[in-house]
Amino acid sequence: MSPDRTAPFFEELARREYDPMLRNARGTARIEIVDQGKTERWLVTIDKGNIAVSRKNARAETTIRADRKTFEKAATGRLNVMAATLRGEIVITGDPRFLVQLQRLIPRPSGGP
Amino acid sequence: MSDDGLIQILHGNTFVVSDTNGDIDASPTDATGLFTYDTRFLSKWVLTINGERMNALSVDDLQYFETRFFLVPGTGTVYIDAKLSVIRRRAVGHGFHEELTILNHEDEPVELTVRLDAASDFADLFEVKDALKKKGRYSTEVDRKKLVLSYDRQTFGRSTAITASEKAQIDEQGLTFEISVPGHGSWSTGIDVSIARLVIGQPLGPPETPEHAQRRMRRDLDHWLDAAPRLECDWDALKATYHRSLVDLAALRFSPPITGGRSLPAAGLPWFMALFGRDSILTSLQSLPFAPELAATTLRALGDWQGVGIDDFRDEDPGRIVHEMRYGELTAFEERPHSPYYGSADATPLYVVLLDEYERWTGDRAIVRELEIEARAALDWIDQYADLQHNGYVAYQRRNEDTGLENQCWKDSWDSISFRDGRLPGFPRATCELQGYAYDAKLRGARLARIAWKDEELATRLEREAAELKRRFNRDFWVEDGQYFALALDPHRAQVDSLTSNNGHLLWSGIVDKSKAKAVARQLLGPRLFSGWGVRTLAEGEGRYNPIGYHVGTVWPFDNSFIAWGLRRYGFKEEAAAIAAGILEAAEFFDGRLPEAFGGYERGETRYPVQYPTACSPQAWSTGTPLLLLRTMLGLEPQGEHLIVDPALPNTIGHLELLDIPGRWGRIDAFGRGRVDVRRTQARRR
Repeated sequence: MSPDRTAPFFEELARREYDPMLRNARGTARIEIVDQGKTERWLVTIDKGNIAVSRKNARAETTIRADRKTFEKAATGRLNVMAATLRGEIVITGDPRFLVQLQRLIPRPSGGP
Repeated sequence: MSDDGLIQILHGNTFVVSDTNGDIDASPTDATGLFTYDTRFLSKWVLTINGERMNALSVDDLQYFETRFFLVPGTGTVYIDAKLSVIRRRAVGHGFHEELTILNHEDEPVELTVRLDAASDFADLFEVKDALKKKGRYSTEVDRKKLVLSYDRQTFGRSTAITASEKAQIDEQGLTFEISVPGHGSWSTGIDVSIARLVIGQPLGPPETPEHAQRRMRRDLDHWLDAAPRLECDWDALKATYHRSLVDLAALRFSPPITGGRSLPAAGLPWFMALFGRDSILTSLQSLPFAPELAATTLRALGDWQGVGIDDFRDEDPGRIVHEMRYGELTAFEERPHSPYYGSADATPLYVVLLDEYERWTGDRAIVRELEIEARAALDWIDQYADLQHNGYVAYQRRNEDTGLENQCWKDSWDSISFRDGRLPGFPRATCELQGYAYDAKLRGARLARIAWKDEELATRLEREAAELKRRFNRDFWVEDGQYFALALDPHRAQVDSLTSNNGHLLWSGIVDKSKAKAVARQLLGPRLFSGWGVRTLAEGEGRYNPIGYHVGTVWPFDNSFIAWGLRRYGFKEEAAAIAAGILEAAEFFDGRLPEAFGGYERGETRYPVQYPTACSPQAWSTGTPLLLLRTMLGLEPQGEHLIVDPALPNTIGHLELLDIPGRWGRIDAFGRGRVDVRRTQARRR
């Protein structure tokens, strides 16, 4: 089994606490990662650059849903998030701006996907 | 109506193109249908009564989002036996709503079979242009109340749902109404064609009713027109052109999913109802004195999409501003790079120019602080990623050799950049206007650094770099034996030496040495460039000159509006007025709607401007042209908290007032009287 890349992504996000790239962003998103019929939920709140991450199953104005493989590719910069959203591999309800701003934090391998 | 006899209505990036009967019967390559988010959701929509198709009596373009077709059954060209008449009233929203009414003019009731054939090919806009084959699977779902057309390819799915308010028999190919219409009576039904599946931009909550949507759109258009400055003048045609521009600009507004409902100018109708960095920025600049909120939304949306990494497929670099964003199937499956695509070399410096110009007009310093990181990244891009010739100039060369853009400046056709003898230079190419934009961006960036970012060090550095760039540019690009600036430097740093309209953009940017400005102005108004209507993209006499060549001889209204601005900047008021007069007089021939481009023929030769055949009208920056020309003629220039008015109007205009100009001063009026003898200025060029 390949190592879990999901938790490290969120841990790294939580460690940032503040990122100036998100200073104009505000909102809460529930990120749902589907794996073998089970759904893992992460709650990400951004308030003018301040980032909070939890496993709370709370209400959010935006939900972002993907299977684990897709999510891990996106989180490691090996998948173009916008194209995946247009394909329906990532499903977003609510405010797409949240996803657009979040993907700015993802480091990308040189040359791109 | 567009020029090809097709009827188009739209709202945001949803639009319907039909024939004059209201029918849609698209082949894979033609352009009719219901489109949204770059996908055709309906490619067939044909009305028959007792098996007969309709014949159009007239079409009422009510608003840009609604239209009414008056029809009679029968397709003959001779007199039609009009026992029945048919009215289709159609309004676009999230899909479209159609009210179909049939009037019986006889004493006796009639039994009728009313049929609407429906189908969808779910073509991507790019496929409609190129006739590509689909890779997914079609399906149709029928129940008593609804017809659902679908297309699926892996996780990608798009659906269209069709429902009627009156009883209908629904089958896989459409809807049938078996009806009886009483003598001198009528029958009608509402039909909704809605976008049932689309992964992005799906509105939350129940869709609004068609009546509500139409009321809202009408109210919105009224508000938009009320908020714009009022124009009073002796020249009625100019008033009509101004009104046309405002209405068209309203139609061109588009809300990408990330702007929270606020809108920015899309590039053009109908094929370019999308976010384009360059087009949205230039149109926002043109409309600043009239609708400044467009600039704010443009700056925020482009900031959100600013490049963060290196991606060769999308020609993306950190700090680079988007060229084009698309939502169709080919983009979704990465067969096209528009998710988004970054292949533009001018949008990034122009982003900083717009941010500064917006602050100068509105005093909105908060947005300058809000977008500080983005503006700094854009300034960094100029030095770190655009110097492809390693000589300190902005240049471009695509890394996506397959579907990327060859020419990443506004003259983006394949043959637009050429030497006098017609040869095409290699890559990377450093076109001259890019250096002007970079110079302007640095100086404006320095101002922003001082007033909002409190970074004196950056301001000083940018000013030093700008001065140095200007010095080198005036040396390296100046064509001594022609007395103008070369179009570009080729990869061997040789001058691409043809004479072009780009010289006008250089005046606008301020990069031109004072000592050279007069020669440049003389060229712009000279016989090789100035046609009598406007400045040609490429001068007569150059190897590739062609008066109806897309970027090699035609006159582009938007180009001329920036040239006029440039001439004013260097104090050539009369020359600027002569260009404004020529373009606005041309507008009269197009009922106030300037085309993207028209022929570069000498004015005296054709007497009227010959439109360049183009599929896109209105075009955003053509729509913005009369607005910017009003600004340049009145000499409107913000200075501190005030608006300077320094009119130099063509004497053909007479008296002109622009009332309630919005800005940091609140609202202000500007007046002028036509005193510039433009015929003399135009004639002096010989």
